[in-house]
Amino acid sequence: MKNSYIITILVFFLLTSCNDEKWLERDPQNLITDEQLWNDPQLIQSLLANYYDRLPSMHGVFNTGGMSEIDDAMWSGHYDSNWRNDFQYGDDYGRYWDYGFIRDINLALDNIAQYSTELDETKKSLYTAELRYIRAFVYFEMVKRMGGVPLVTEQLIYDFKGDPSSLQVPRAKESEVYDFIYTELETIKDDLEGNNASQTRANSFTALALESRAMLYAASIAKYNNLMSAPITLPGGEVGIPSEKSSDYYTKSLAASKAIINSGNYVLYDENPDKGANFYEMLMTKNREVLFAKDFELSLKTHRFAYDNIVRSLTEDNESSSNMTPSLNLVESFEYLDGSDGALKMQDGSGAYIAYEGINDIFENKDARLYGTVVYPGTNFKSTPVNIQAGVAVWEGSDYQFLAAPNLGGTYEDGALWTGFDGPRNDAQDVSNTGFYMRKFVSEAPGASTRGVSAVNWWPWFRLGEIYLNAAEAAFELNDPEAVVYINSLRERAGFGANSVEALSNDIIRNERRVELAFEDHRFFDLKRWRIAHLVWDGNEDSEDAIVYGLFPYRIVRPGHPDDSKYVFDKVRPTRFRRARFFRFANYYSSIDQNVLNNNPKLIRNPFH
Amino acid sequence: MKKNIGYLLFTLGLVLLASGCEYDNFEEPGSLLKGNVVYNGEPIGVRTNAAQMELWQGGYALERNIPIYIDQDGSYSVALFDGQYKLVRKEGGPWQAELNDTLIIDVRGQTEFDIPVTPFFTIESGDIQESENSLTAEFSVDQIVESANIESVRLYLGTSLLTDQNRNEFSQTLDLTGLDLNQQNSFSVEIPENLRDKEYLFFRMGVRSTLSNEFYYTQVEKIIL
Repeated sequence: MKNSYIITILVFFLLTSCNDEKWLERDPQNLITDEQLWNDPQLIQSLLANYYDRLPSMHGVFNTGGMSEIDDAMWSGHYDSNWRNDFQYGDDYGRYWDYGFIRDINLALDNIAQYSTELDETKKSLYTAELRYIRAFVYFEMVKRMGGVPLVTEQLIYDFKGDPSSLQVPRAKESEVYDFIYTELETIKDDLEGNNASQTRANSFTALALESRAMLYAASIAKYNNLMSAPITLPGGEVGIPSEKSSDYYTKSLAASKAIINSGNYVLYDENPDKGANFYEMLMTKNREVLFAKDFELSLKTHRFAYDNIVRSLTEDNESSSNMTPSLNLVESFEYLDGSDGALKMQDGSGAYIAYEGINDIFENKDARLYGTVVYPGTNFKSTPVNIQAGVAVWEGSDYQFLAAPNLGGTYEDGALWTGFDGPRNDAQDVSNTGFYMRKFVSEAPGASTRGVSAVNWWPWFRLGEIYLNAAEAAFELNDPEAVVYINSLRERAGFGANSVEALSNDIIRNERRVELAFEDHRFFDLKRWRIAHLVWDGNEDSEDAIVYGLFPYRIVRPGHPDDSKYVFDKVRPTRFRRARFFRFANYYSSIDQNVLNNNPKLIRNPFH
Repeated sequence: MKKNIGYLLFTLGLVLLASGCEYDNFEEPGSLLKGNVVYNGEPIGVRTNAAQMELWQGGYALERNIPIYIDQDGSYSVALFDGQYKLVRKEGGPWQAELNDTLIIDVRGQTEFDIPVTPFFTIESGDIQESENSLTAEFSVDQIVESANIESVRLYLGTSLLTDQNRNEFSQTLDLTGLDLNQQNSFSVEIPENLRDKEYLFFRMGVRSTLSNEFYYTQVEKIIL
């Protein structure tokens, strides 16, 4: 009897509890539908964050190892990676063929057009423009490494009818890809105005900045490729741009650069009267010099550039430090403030070493950007003096004998420092092999050099300094007298006097780019587009450019002589730098992967592959 | 029960053995195509892992290239099935590309085929004398392609047979002033200190033209110190 009561109650519940049909038709909690995604600005922004994070670069975004292969620096870190000092650029060096990403963007563009019904129009066009900006950015990365690539602007969907030829898109001409980038950016730049206050999302000015850079690349390829004794081209124009297009491209680049400079939205960072420290802070303080940056945030998204490259004795971690160490070649490319050539004076005319009173006297009156880029002997990092000294130079009656201590930080018989705690030391790991350390991009924040905390300084995709240089180069090529004004304003920020350059030349512009934009993922591509990479990195073991040199400072031990305790400097070729850099014609355009070629018979190979 | 598990595992193993090898039962290619990359009948020295040739075979659904890797002394060999192949002399070597001039090769069993190419320059080393830690070598550089110019002539010393631009212990770019094309030239070079205590060294020279990507190398020579 009791049981039947219970059963009746249970049956009652069963019959009544389900009459609400909504209870059964609930939205799933573990997936987001397209309708939800494309009508919710929050969700769209998080999707965009993912795409911004995937923006490609060759060895940028704090890729220490990659930078040490192509920048003015060598690898001084763990021996395991010493192949970076001992390799040849392979046929596939710099290959980039990311149609997965292109497809993701094309899919997103289709979806936002189809599903975004509740979004207001300005937002919708802003997001669409941002996606198209990212796509243009990706195509630019592809064209500068591979030449003309297939231009795919919508999803490629197979119809399962057995004929895949509609999916096999042939390569566009190199100039067509650059034209595509330009027209895309021109179309979307007004839609991007909503972001103009942001420095980490695409806006009208980042669109102009990409125009400025891409058009400059196209123009210089059009001009300088055709000046080679054997221009690198393909008959269909997939590689190589006709020279008559160059002035149009230069004009477009200059117009874009001018629009940015004249907008007043960005300023050349010039806050600190100490010009060297100012140049360093410019990239460390998240200021209005930078047009477009990759942002980092403590405990969320950090990078380890400080852990990799901090001065050895100042690291807060128990491993690494000193991975990438700048070369003497770079240090010497910074001019003296009086405008004379930057070569350091180690020896006098007769070959005798010049004794310097202070260990940093040899660097006196150099371009202030040297201080902002490189840690050299006798300077501070994190307000602590660095301890760079290779050893002692003992006078042997007619010449110096250079002696290095068995331990870093050791004391010589005369009771004074032998080899500094920061080296340099030849053929050693985790200590500079060149006599220099990185300052640019290396954060001084507490804990930045630990793996637990890490660094959060920006990666600058575009900054105003580059735009000035782009403007100067384009104007110079177009015989516009304003070119020299752009160069001089940059040089004034670096500590030079007003109008320090009177007659501009290609060499001056190229050297300015080398010193201003060092380690910012420019040098490799600049050498390529000027078509001088094969001359600079010619694989010659006697070359001044293809070898990374170091500078070792020694303290003189010569009791009773006025030179005692002064310093001499020795130019060395680090033992760990094994192989002169050798850039072959094949490296101007990377090879296309064989599987990609097999899948699409319409693709043709790049020259020399 | 324990015994049963044993039987079970044994049977499972047998089943796996009997059924799992189906995909491996293809016949392996039994013919060998081999030969040298030659100019005027002489094999051409190349860099290890550098220049390649390509073979293609038509008539199958999957069309893809068969790469031919060239040994540093200019020889090559490929294991193939019998049939007709097309050989393409690709770009990227120290010779002129002849992409449109396909060579047809019939492979039947052991087949020998020398691939003729036209290098921009050739280099040949002659007598090499070693004395007092220095080497004196004779060499001649011949121009083959009219439009080419010499980019550089280099010599390499190495401790292994594989000595080239990429793998060497020492390399030096020769001063080209006074170089007589098509004539015997001679030069001497000091053996670097770290190589003097070796029992032997491998010596090689290379020439690169302004039009090519790679050096044309002499055959490697072993020098007993």
